[in-house]
Amino acid sequence: MAKQLETTRGAVGALRTGKRRGAAARRTAVEGYALVLPALLLLAVFILYPILYGLYISFHKWDGFSAMTFVGWRNYVKAFTSDSVFHQAARNTALYAVAITIGKNVFGLLLALLVSRKIRGILFFRTALFVPVTLSYVVVGLLWAWIYNPSFGLVASGLEALGLENWVYPWLGSASTALWAVVAVEVWKWAGFHMVLFLGGLQAIPADLYEAAIVDGASPWARFRSITLPLLKPITFISVFLALNGGFVRNFDLIYIMTGGGPNHSTEVVLTHMVSEAFQRGNLGYSSAMGYLLFLTVAVLILVYARTFNRGGEGGR
Amino acid sequence: MGMRAGARLGNGAAYLILALFSVLTVYPILWVFLGSFKETNEFYNHIWGLPASLNWDNYVRAWEMAQIGTRMVNSVIVTVSALAILLVVSTTAAYALSRLRFPGVTVLYALFLASMMIPSETTVIPLFLTVKEMGLLNTRLALILTYAAGGLAFSIVTLHAFLKSIPHEPEEAALVDGANRLQVFAHVILPLVRPALATVVIIQGMHFWNEFFLALIFVRDVALQTLPLGMTQFFFQYTSDWTLYFAALSIVTAPVIALFVAMQRQFVDGLTAGAVKG
Repeated sequence: MAKQLETTRGAVGALRTGKRRGAAARRTAVEGYALVLPALLLLAVFILYPILYGLYISFHKWDGFSAMTFVGWRNYVKAFTSDSVFHQAARNTALYAVAITIGKNVFGLLLALLVSRKIRGILFFRTALFVPVTLSYVVVGLLWAWIYNPSFGLVASGLEALGLENWVYPWLGSASTALWAVVAVEVWKWAGFHMVLFLGGLQAIPADLYEAAIVDGASPWARFRSITLPLLKPITFISVFLALNGGFVRNFDLIYIMTGGGPNHSTEVVLTHMVSEAFQRGNLGYSSAMGYLLFLTVAVLILVYARTFNRGGEGGR
Repeated sequence: MGMRAGARLGNGAAYLILALFSVLTVYPILWVFLGSFKETNEFYNHIWGLPASLNWDNYVRAWEMAQIGTRMVNSVIVTVSALAILLVVSTTAAYALSRLRFPGVTVLYALFLASMMIPSETTVIPLFLTVKEMGLLNTRLALILTYAAGGLAFSIVTLHAFLKSIPHEPEEAALVDGANRLQVFAHVILPLVRPALATVVIIQGMHFWNEFFLALIFVRDVALQTLPLGMTQFFFQYTSDWTLYFAALSIVTAPVIALFVAMQRQFVDGLTAGAVKG
């Protein structure tokens, strides 16, 4: 501690006596705590306390008004055994997360490869493709609810214009297609973001690697496989991580607005089920338990992901 | 020769695919703007094309019916206040955590860093109860404080990394000259961290402006609702007057898109830098 102080303060410290250094260190400490305190307070009240409070509530039965009753593991047992809506919500959440992760990264990489070309007007395309990223989920959700509308929506009238009116279908209104319709919207909103991530990765690859490969007669596909993909590994790690994490925990807005979890729970995810259990049925304890299960699942998944991704080669960061 | 022809063909294909995807991202938004000027009948009969005339009446009615004025004021109050609190609290904390040496400094930083790993969505129920027990339910303050708290980890980590890269000499010189800690912070540190602050303002500002989940749970009172929440209420309330919906959505979307086009570089750099860091 004192040593660090001396090295960082070199010139100043050398002029001071030991006693004055002690006083200065004490003053620095007081100043340090004072500067951190407001942030710490905010963190403690609105982040840390709710986490612990949620754990406590999850072992109780509580409607938020009457007295809490301790029920042990019963809420967790209920989630695993008797609540079939939760099972469906968990399946949907996983499916949704995997689907959007694949979609966002495949389209993101494809678009990045295209917009990394040095051709005229490319900045216009980069801007146009990024626009949906700046829109809020509310705007995107409402917009696409109209686009999917089977009587007046853009997709339906497009199909009619092409003479394909038989293909018109209540995409959001039927259980077999609703989840996929929302997946498409989520990918639409974020593909431009992943494009920019991959573009940064592509631009960091030295051009002479490609030139050398061309001299060696490597085909475009071989160049992509042996240069582009391996060197994009660190950025791919981040890009997949963001999509996966978002797929599990940032799906409430879009689903709530577009389908409300329906029809018949076909788009129900853990977060929407959690909110209806808490605010429509007043099961705050059970709802908190579901929140914890989601939290733990995501934490474990991310850990496993980081490990396996980094084991498969020297990538990562 | 053959290679150049190949490259030209490749560029042609690239243009084609990019044009297709750009139509896919831009046309839906354009459709809303164009539709917002149409008469109701015109909208249903000519769903694709340009409006026959610029019919501003939709805007006047949508502005009133969706109470956009009130809701925009609420959004501005909430976003600006949350940003102000976040910036003050996180710059001071990041400064202390990155440049002062005192017992517990590493543990404190680790605490902020670790809080980044917790998805706030999963603790929304106890957060609701915390807000309720503080008597803040149905207030703008609930949104302001929870938004600021939610932005802490990102903001502190971003500023911390930036501050670590700044040399210590100017600060030491000011201290030797007899400046106190606050003066050093205000006159030496703050001007230096401006680029990092811009990143925080763009990312968190956009997030606060668009936030829906917490607003939905904390705020019932129509007079206190922010734009995203207000919009959904407006759309769920009335059925089927699409031209009004489109006008309301245009009012909300146009400023954001204009801001993005004007400040593209900051937006893109800020968002991606933030993501890579997180």
